[in-house]
Amino acid sequence: MRNKRLLNLLKTIAVLAIVVWSLFPIFFIVVSSFKAGHDIFAVPTKWFFEPTVQHYQKLVSAWPVFFSSLWNSTVITAGATALAVIASTTAGYVYSRYNSRLLNASIVYLIGVRLIPPIVVTLPLFPIVNWLGINDTHFVLIVLYATFFVSLGTVLMRTFIDQIPRELDEAAAIDGASRMTILRKVIVPLATPGIIAVAVFVIVFAWNEFLFAFIFTSTNAKTAPLVVSEMIGSIDGVDWGVLFAASTVQLLPVLLFVVFMNRYLVAGLTAGATKG
Amino acid sequence: MAELGDTMKARTLWGVIPLLAPVQLLLLSVIIIPSIYVIWLSFHVSSFGQSATFVGWDNYIRVITDPAFHSALINTVIIVVVAVHLELLVALGVALLFNSGLKFRRLLLVAVLAPYAVSEVIAVAMWRFLFDMDVGPVTQALQALGLPILEWGYDPMHAMIMIALLTIWMHLPFTFIILYAARLALPSDLYEAARIDGATAWQSFRRITIPLMGPAILVALLFRYIFAFRLFSEVWLMTQGGPARSTEVVAVYLYQEAFSYNAFGTAAATAWIMVIVSLLLASGYIYLLRRQVNANAK
Amino acid sequence: MTSQLKLTRRGFLAGTAAVGALSLAGPSFAASKTLNILSHRVHQTSLGEGDADAMKDWKAANDAELNWTTFDSNPLMDRLFREASLSSTDFSVGYMVDNRPTSEIAKLFEPLGPWLEKDGIEEFDDIAPGLVQGMTVDGNLIGIPVRTATQALFYNEARLEEVGISAPPTTIEELVEQARKVTESGKATGMILASDLAVFPVMFARAYGGDFINKDFELLPNKEAMEKGLTTLADMFKDGSLPKSYATTKNDDQVTWMQQGRAAFTVLPFARAAQLNNAEQSKYPGKIKAIGFPGSKDSTVPMASVVEAWAMVIPANAKDKELAWSFIKEVSSKKNTLVMALNGNGPARVSTFGEAELTAKNPLAAVEAEVLAQARGAFPPFPEAARAQALFLEEVQLAVLGRKTPAEAVAAIESRVAPLLPS
Repeated sequence: MRNKRLLNLLKTIAVLAIVVWSLFPIFFIVVSSFKAGHDIFAVPTKWFFEPTVQHYQKLVSAWPVFFSSLWNSTVITAGATALAVIASTTAGYVYSRYNSRLLNASIVYLIGVRLIPPIVVTLPLFPIVNWLGINDTHFVLIVLYATFFVSLGTVLMRTFIDQIPRELDEAAAIDGASRMTILRKVIVPLATPGIIAVAVFVIVFAWNEFLFAFIFTSTNAKTAPLVVSEMIGSIDGVDWGVLFAASTVQLLPVLLFVVFMNRYLVAGLTAGATKG
Repeated sequence: MAELGDTMKARTLWGVIPLLAPVQLLLLSVIIIPSIYVIWLSFHVSSFGQSATFVGWDNYIRVITDPAFHSALINTVIIVVVAVHLELLVALGVALLFNSGLKFRRLLLVAVLAPYAVSEVIAVAMWRFLFDMDVGPVTQALQALGLPILEWGYDPMHAMIMIALLTIWMHLPFTFIILYAARLALPSDLYEAARIDGATAWQSFRRITIPLMGPAILVALLFRYIFAFRLFSEVWLMTQGGPARSTEVVAVYLYQEAFSYNAFGTAAATAWIMVIVSLLLASGYIYLLRRQVNANAK
Repeated sequence: MTSQLKLTRRGFLAGTAAVGALSLAGPSFAASKTLNILSHRVHQTSLGEGDADAMKDWKAANDAELNWTTFDSNPLMDRLFREASLSSTDFSVGYMVDNRPTSEIAKLFEPLGPWLEKDGIEEFDDIAPGLVQGMTVDGNLIGIPVRTATQALFYNEARLEEVGISAPPTTIEELVEQARKVTESGKATGMILASDLAVFPVMFARAYGGDFINKDFELLPNKEAMEKGLTTLADMFKDGSLPKSYATTKNDDQVTWMQQGRAAFTVLPFARAAQLNNAEQSKYPGKIKAIGFPGSKDSTVPMASVVEAWAMVIPANAKDKELAWSFIKEVSSKKNTLVMALNGNGPARVSTFGEAELTAKNPLAAVEAEVLAQARGAFPPFPEAARAQALFLEEVQLAVLGRKTPAEAVAAIESRVAPLLPS
């Protein structure tokens, strides 16, 4: 009995430790964004203070570009998600339902491609992107973000579609449905959890990505993480309060999204882990 | 039924090419073709305002014999070996903890997942501030408790620890979820049977949990190897490879060659060395582990 | 509050407009022409914004809009050269720092001599000849100097008074002594310097009469002086006069530390005075002053501070060179040079330093002009300059952190940098 109580105590401590480890940095930034300027760097750290929204006001007045960058991030995230989901679903369907040596070999290639680090392709992509005249547009980031997720997306969708009984699409085929109709009417509705899982991955990635945005955008398509990084390297010195306020605004939507979508995230990674 | 399956095959792949095309086109135009161009570039000397001249294997030799590249490679391997395995152990611990029955499990799961949503840029800003050597709250807390502080701006060892902690913080959710999901999938009657046979908790962990979770562990490791090997933003935004280039990793070395020194040939050679080494690292390790897992399973 | 809300909405509208423009596959600006400029943010802000916009009349006269794309210094140079090496670029004007134009780079940009002859700049001789020389590569003028950043020694008067120091140092020996006193008082750190810029070790070497690479591409022309400079830095670090975080300190940190009174001394361009004393951000408004960086009492050579100059260039592949030249001409006028100087830009024209309006607003102008007269770049441009700087800084850091003796570091700098110099 005593042993059990000890075990429970240890478990509670472990749980507390992991929660503090995961949440404290986030919590601290969000809280600090409501501290007055001189309280942020106060020694010793102030735990009780009078909250203020001065940094948010300054964010609004001094960094209008931050809000347009949030809009850019939204457009790019939506576009990349749509593209990645459609491409992964159609390809996943083929990989699940058709069988050929070529197809099986191409799965290896699909995964092998992911071994190439993104930084490698930035070098030659810059002149190509310029030549096409799509530098600093939403389009270029949409394509890039989608590309770096279609491999995983296809594998995930194949796993999810594998779970849908073949009898269903075969029955539809006997009824004379075309391949597209089967995909639309049978596969997509039943594979929705998989589609959502893929979407969650792409959304989190596209919303937060830094390297590509840094290289391929300048003004029109600048995303929110880029503006935050500009605040860190701002010529006026780092205004930590505003930086924290901007971080909070950038972070909260995607954090809430992950919180509400955690089931799909788990499902997606499960499928990826066991079959990928 | 079987006939229908055959007809689907018989119609060959031609009919489904439009369905495969988007994925293949994206990969081909964004990754494959540019990578091939990088191979070509790696055999040339090239910079701004200078046309490329063929130099054979020179760029590769230059990179491989550069002491700075050696230290970047060693740092990368240290991060991969230490951080990834530490992360795996912690993730495994947390996964088993969650599986042992917790109150508020969903809520706690969300808490552990939270860092997954944080952008690298913001994560670095957070950690730089928390561990600021003078006024950082964590530094102060450590000092108040009489503990040694992390002098990451001064001591290369501490800077590496800082980077390792940050990557673990950012990627633990990913590894944890994979392992947790795999643990959930294990049939409970196996454990029941083991208990009836009088196995201790350790024995069932050793004999059931580890072998059966083997494939998931492999996948988690493979993913994390690949991602840890291309580690860039954390280091670049945190230390820029300093102090005195002591925390430089391969991706930072590549970035410096390409974007600071504008030496595109050596940058391209570094890129391909990076691809090949990460491939070898991943495949060799996976091969060994797979053999072990198979042996255990028997 | 209302005005701020309006600004947000404008921000959102701007975003929507960008999307709209994109979907129509063409920009739809009010003016008929757009000049795309690639620069650092300081170049944009020094021309003023809104009602104070110095380019207002020019925009109206040319029916043109200015579209600024700004980056930090290193990414800016990378982007500029990348744009200039494409088959064509949308950017018609770029800002280039003076230690970058090598022969190879210069080929990517429009020679400005013919433009100058055809349609001259007001009193071109007034623009410091040394700066114009720096932008002349293989006989071609490729950039019009527009900004100088001359390094000064900043000190926090209040912090010095607290430890009984009434006057700033006149020699580097005094500087070290004063910094130590402040550090020992425990109230602040003696000095804050970034570790990722060659400027600071070069200044310390020059204080003793040495240099890193001089104009004639001589590496370490006075090794002993470089050794002394590094020894001084290393001793300051050992004393705590430089913070423990030295190796990860960046330029921005220098500003923050000075504003918060965490350090008593730093080295920054004169133009930073306004920002360091800005009452909104600084805990010591009006107390942070600047002088020329002092040389050693033993040195026979006058102290040459480091000056960084920026020039406006036109990529050879630019689309609208006429408009670009018109812009450059306008920005370089005497009137606009003064406007930019009043906004905190180090002028490229000699006469601007003497303008009454400037000396009244900025008491440092006279000191700055005096320091500028002796100043020169940190090192001359050559193809492997960036790599040479990185190697130099690596060795300097090792010496300062005490992992190598200054003598070992100097020997290593010599052997590692020599192969990179142009033959």
